[in-house]
Amino acid sequence: MLTSRAENIRLPTSLKTGEMENRRLAKQAVAFLILSVVLLGSIFFGLCAGRFSITPARALEIVFNWLFTPGLLINQIDERIILLVRIPRIILAGFAGAGLAVAGAALQAVFRNPLVSPQILGISPGAAFGGVLAIVLGWWGLALLGLSFASGLIALVFVGLLARINGRSEIITVILAGIVISALFGALVSLSQFLADPNGSLPAIVYWLMGSMASATWQKLTLAAPGLIMGTLLIMAMRFRLNILSLDDAEARSLGANPDIERWIIFLAVTIIVGSQVSVSGVIGWIGLVIPHTVRMIMGQDNRVVIPASAILGAAFLIFADTLARTMTAAEIPLGALTALVGAPVFAVLLRSHYRERMQ
Amino acid sequence: MGVRTYTFLAFSFSVLLSLPAIAEEISFTDMIGRPVTLDKPAERIASIPIPLASTIIAIDGSTKKLVGMNPLAKSAIEEGILGQIFPEAKDISSAIAGTDFIPNVEELASVNPDLVIQWGDIGDGAMAPLLNAGLKAMFVTYGTEEQGRQFMRITAKAMNKEERINPLIDWREKVQSDIQEKTDKIANDQKPRTLYLQRALTGLIAVGPGQSYMDFWIRLGGGVNAAKDITGAKPVSPEQVAQWDPEVIFLNSFEGNLTTDFIYNDPVLSMTKAAKEKRVYKMPLGGYRWDPPNQESPLTWMWVANLLQPGVFKFDLRAEMQKAYKSLYGYDLTASDIDEVLWVKMQGSSKNYAIFKAD
Repeated sequence: MLTSRAENIRLPTSLKTGEMENRRLAKQAVAFLILSVVLLGSIFFGLCAGRFSITPARALEIVFNWLFTPGLLINQIDERIILLVRIPRIILAGFAGAGLAVAGAALQAVFRNPLVSPQILGISPGAAFGGVLAIVLGWWGLALLGLSFASGLIALVFVGLLARINGRSEIITVILAGIVISALFGALVSLSQFLADPNGSLPAIVYWLMGSMASATWQKLTLAAPGLIMGTLLIMAMRFRLNILSLDDAEARSLGANPDIERWIIFLAVTIIVGSQVSVSGVIGWIGLVIPHTVRMIMGQDNRVVIPASAILGAAFLIFADTLARTMTAAEIPLGALTALVGAPVFAVLLRSHYRERMQ
Repeated sequence: MGVRTYTFLAFSFSVLLSLPAIAEEISFTDMIGRPVTLDKPAERIASIPIPLASTIIAIDGSTKKLVGMNPLAKSAIEEGILGQIFPEAKDISSAIAGTDFIPNVEELASVNPDLVIQWGDIGDGAMAPLLNAGLKAMFVTYGTEEQGRQFMRITAKAMNKEERINPLIDWREKVQSDIQEKTDKIANDQKPRTLYLQRALTGLIAVGPGQSYMDFWIRLGGGVNAAKDITGAKPVSPEQVAQWDPEVIFLNSFEGNLTTDFIYNDPVLSMTKAAKEKRVYKMPLGGYRWDPPNQESPLTWMWVANLLQPGVFKFDLRAEMQKAYKSLYGYDLTASDIDEVLWVKMQGSSKNYAIFKAD
């Protein structure tokens, strides 16, 4: 699976004629416009759909009153549901979806491998262990976030140390080290579950590991949003470098990059995103695989485009999935299970069509 | 029958039984249809199911026959009043099984039980190790009031203490039919929508109809289950609870830090009818947690009935508790014990709770 994707990447080049460049830009502009409409549609759907019946007109009225009447008291139950339950959930799902999609896209560029995700690098299992440990210790909020992030980072450092041979980390060794560390932290999660109190922390852990936004509040949002935004913006800022990082190391060096350091900056950004997301809503997988792939199919391989487009589509997708999770049945459907249920088949189809194209 | 009669009967029975050196063997069928034969009444019982540990103490009136229990049974005893009545319970092994009911066979063997009680409805992994190790085992199943009675009945049978269990079963039947008779006459629109939250602090888990003991006592006490759209225990969002708009909310006794303030301080849950009318109550923790079936269940039903239908039921729960604790554990409950079990300090000012306060 370690095919080099370098040949697929279009570098910015002055060889192209101006007309082709213009047409490409116009196509991209249209694509971004469509993506933005999809995102807005998803937000609107999330705002209006729910178990508690509120008409779309009333929902919009509540939002407008809230936005344009500062100091408004939130007294009615429908106001509280829109403003204190649905909106923080939509924003959290949006930031988390954008962050996870961008994280996946960045890792895939760095590793020149379409199958890489935060799970494979050990970051998600690491962050999950930190979170589980925090729950066992009875820590919530900032402490849980801190432990989740720290543990994700430790997993990443372990992977780095394991993979570093003679001062260089080969991509294949990084991935293999990631698998080893994932298994280790997966085992630690199981062990913590075994030791957890079934009356208190165990159901909380199980529920949390399934991934859910059900307990999203403004408070949780302010906890997770800084990390999610920071990590996403960091990768956004690096999107120009990602094209170079996805060349092989010798080529990248010849273009004046220091691939080792830049790679680790990306890893750090991914860890910030995953740690923040996991700490408030548990493990939510597949976003980082499905979204960037879909985007590449529509918009090509250029990371300068893939990264922002993944952010928009990731946000739209997770808001939509979370709205389904909370509205389809009276019970909350675990969001992690839902994204996997949608993600795995979509990914399988993408993968097959991708390789069929390449073989022709 | 008074407590003295029980004690007398128990005493005379044990004298009768200990006279002949060879007591007759006991045989019965357990709840998964396996025949169980014991050479003599069980004297050293290890109970892996949680509520049965306190039931065994209640049947025997002492902790002497209990040699091993689930760690969670132990924590319930330590947190609750049973630890105060039987301080020696803290020395009983709780290493015989994990909290997931998977037995630790070597620990079990080391306490040398002559009977091990285990769930028979949670898969082979929980059962096979006992049988492979050649331990004498009895399997019970969980869910309904009937099943609850049956596991108490066969446990008493194994201990040759049927004279202890029959009055307990009679008590259950009497209280249940007394309540049921009155509940049947209540019109459906007079029954409050009632929500039981099995978990709250780290995400709401509600319990719907089907496979649920909580649904049983909600209906018995004259309520209707507000979580009618779900089956069994499921995670739900605060928005869903708002949509159900329960008129009464019962909070579980499992989460030690959970208080009624959790509902009153939540921006959405505090808008429910239950919160507005101060009809939010935490389940008591007595000899065992009052939510699942156990030897104290009739007290649960009376407590629930008084709260759901205050116009119909006026049980003198304090007196009933004193009577029950005397006969179950031979213990005289003090007024402050009762206040503690019923969380009077926390929820004494809730609506309809005055009936549970000391005069």
